[in-house]
Amino acid sequence: MELNTYQQEAFNYQRPNIEKFGKKNLIWAIFFLAWIMVGAYALYLQISKGHVVTGMRDNVVWGLFIVNFIFFIGLSYAGAIIAGLLHLFKVPWGKPIIRLAQMMTVISVIVGPIFILLCVGRFDRLHHLFIYPRIQSPMTWDVLAIMTYFVGSVIFLYMALIKDFAVYRDAKLNIPGWKQKLYKILAIGYRGAASQKRHLIISQNLLAIIMIPLSIIVSSILSWIFGMTLRPGWHSTIFGPYFVLGALYSGCGVLIVAMWVYRKMYKLENYFTDRHFTNLGYCLMVLSAGYGYFTFSEYFTDWFGSAKWDSEVINKLFNPAQYGWWTLFANVVGILIPILIVAIPKTRKPSWIALASFFMVIALWVKRYLIIVPTLETPALPMEDTRIAYVKYSATWPEWALTFAGIATFLLFFTLMSKFVTVVPVSGLEEDHQHHAHHHEPVTIKTEEIQTA
Amino acid sequence: MKQVSIVNTLFQTLRSTVILAAMLLLPAAIFAQADTAKKDAPEAKEEPSLITPSAEFTGIQKPGDSVQLKAVLKAKVKGSFIKLPLLKVKFLQVIDTATKELGFVITDQTGKAIFNLKVDPKTADKDGKLHFKAVFAGNKSMESAEEELAVKRASLEITAVKEDSVLNAKIKLVDLAKDTPIKGTVVGIFVHRSFSLLKIGEGTTDENGEATVEVPNNLPGDAKGNVILVAKLDENETFGNLEASVVQKWGTPVSDKLEDQPRALWSSHPPLWMLITFFILMGVVWGHYIVIVVQLFRLRKEEPHTADIANT
Repeated sequence: MELNTYQQEAFNYQRPNIEKFGKKNLIWAIFFLAWIMVGAYALYLQISKGHVVTGMRDNVVWGLFIVNFIFFIGLSYAGAIIAGLLHLFKVPWGKPIIRLAQMMTVISVIVGPIFILLCVGRFDRLHHLFIYPRIQSPMTWDVLAIMTYFVGSVIFLYMALIKDFAVYRDAKLNIPGWKQKLYKILAIGYRGAASQKRHLIISQNLLAIIMIPLSIIVSSILSWIFGMTLRPGWHSTIFGPYFVLGALYSGCGVLIVAMWVYRKMYKLENYFTDRHFTNLGYCLMVLSAGYGYFTFSEYFTDWFGSAKWDSEVINKLFNPAQYGWWTLFANVVGILIPILIVAIPKTRKPSWIALASFFMVIALWVKRYLIIVPTLETPALPMEDTRIAYVKYSATWPEWALTFAGIATFLLFFTLMSKFVTVVPVSGLEEDHQHHAHHHEPVTIKTEEIQTA
Repeated sequence: MKQVSIVNTLFQTLRSTVILAAMLLLPAAIFAQADTAKKDAPEAKEEPSLITPSAEFTGIQKPGDSVQLKAVLKAKVKGSFIKLPLLKVKFLQVIDTATKELGFVITDQTGKAIFNLKVDPKTADKDGKLHFKAVFAGNKSMESAEEELAVKRASLEITAVKEDSVLNAKIKLVDLAKDTPIKGTVVGIFVHRSFSLLKIGEGTTDENGEATVEVPNNLPGDAKGNVILVAKLDENETFGNLEASVVQKWGTPVSDKLEDQPRALWSSHPPLWMLITFFILMGVVWGHYIVIVVQLFRLRKEEPHTADIANT
């Protein structure tokens, strides 16, 4: 596998990251595993005692699990769209961040649907989704769409990794034999021959073209689970694009935070440059404005129409005694602050943008909660049993434990992935300020060279 | 004095002996009491009492000397009545002093046993009454039950008459024992619906034992427009229950076949356009995946040898 000097430098720089696990990473991994174990105990309680250990009851049948599902699956769609666009339009500065976007795509699409399984009361009937599917049900659309999307995102990530696997294979890394063998298998004999390059580029382009509309469709299908239901706050024609935009927006935020963390952790300032933060910050600002516009449009339409049930939900959302403060938080921290942080040149700095993104991501999680719970707390049919636990949803500790276990799984996967592949892709990397890769001398990786590096 | 002291000593000794004996025997007495109680306990234990069923026995006279006998078996258990299913009820007819067994029916889940028979008018007594018995013989857990019924023979007829586009149900009530019309009796007119009878009116018989009740002309009928009109005399003090029916094409035809339902989420088949869109979308995406995987296989096959790489 041939690399130019810039790519070689990038590889040599990141080489220790995939050769050694490192103490810090080990501590993090143990910490995440501990959280996952707490989640496993909560799951054991949920399975042995039933869903009564959660705050979900007859009326509010969806809670934190569905909020998490939408949140993570949204991140996945965003990752695919961002990676697809950066790849197709051959954005030179975008190359170092494509891998992070693709990692986010695959990891989120693994973690997200787990929450659906946690929400399902009858595991034993899970296979009924496939035995008795109803094509006219948005649930069936979602199951099939997510499965299709999962396969696509895994292939998408894998294809982007083939060249790098070939680099790792040829580099004779100081790693265990199984890992070396695995790199060899995954590289599927790629040597950089002209015909191989052609096949790979055709496949990558083809998949990037299909992944963008697929992400949009799949995200819309997710929104239709709500949009197709005749319930106040859900039954809306803009829910499709609203969810797509929301997914892209939160995904962009997570990508910025991930970039900031890896930049600090692995000292990747030369690859995740200020320019990346600024450019993604601009994207964040545009998406934020778009998301704000959709949010305003949604609330304004419901408020102006004054339909009985719509008004009831709107009142709940804006009443400080109910969800008013959360609505304020979701809109100020989730929409206004990111715009201001990026708009003001003084705060247009990586750390500020990352901080704003971090809080924006939390705000968008809250926003998902506000989409789901207040509507379910406003049943269109009169409630027979009006016990407070039935009227009002309040999440229990097993739900929180499983939520944090999901986040820990997400972060653990990121940690493990960054120990298996380089966070910044090596092959195909172009120097940011020059991007004249052809000026560099091609170098064939040699064992001696790498050992001295 | 000496004698007195001896007597006193003897008396004291005797008293002490009695007290001592009493003290010694007290536990024995107590145990003996306990034993007695124990002994008595099995005797006090009552045998499980048998359930005492009760039978409700009614009969409905129908045209053509038919009688429908109905017995309902139930029992009061823990303060509430329960229906007694799967029990054998024998039906008998009492003719003078003789008893003729008609047959038996096993009670259904609601404790009901229904027996239809055609009676011989000659078996009626001098007052024109027919006498029946319903007997449950009892079993290991239930006592026997028996109920008698006397039905005075009468006939109820219903005819459908259309007069100047007005639909009428004409009824005639006759005492068969005397062969005279029964006057001043209220008879209800019903129409058969899906699950029960719907009352549409009632009429009081005149001196000819006749009454006329108007029938609405917009009743939904079956697929051919047939409606079943039923005349009923319920729990009359003399004649008991009588029932007669007639089928008439006076209803609006209502098809019993399933019609196309409007679009609904629970429809068994999705719309065609949805199926086509779904399969096209899935086909396009999975088709792309297949092409890509094939490309990857080709890439693997085209792995150049080291010599080739050196040449490139």
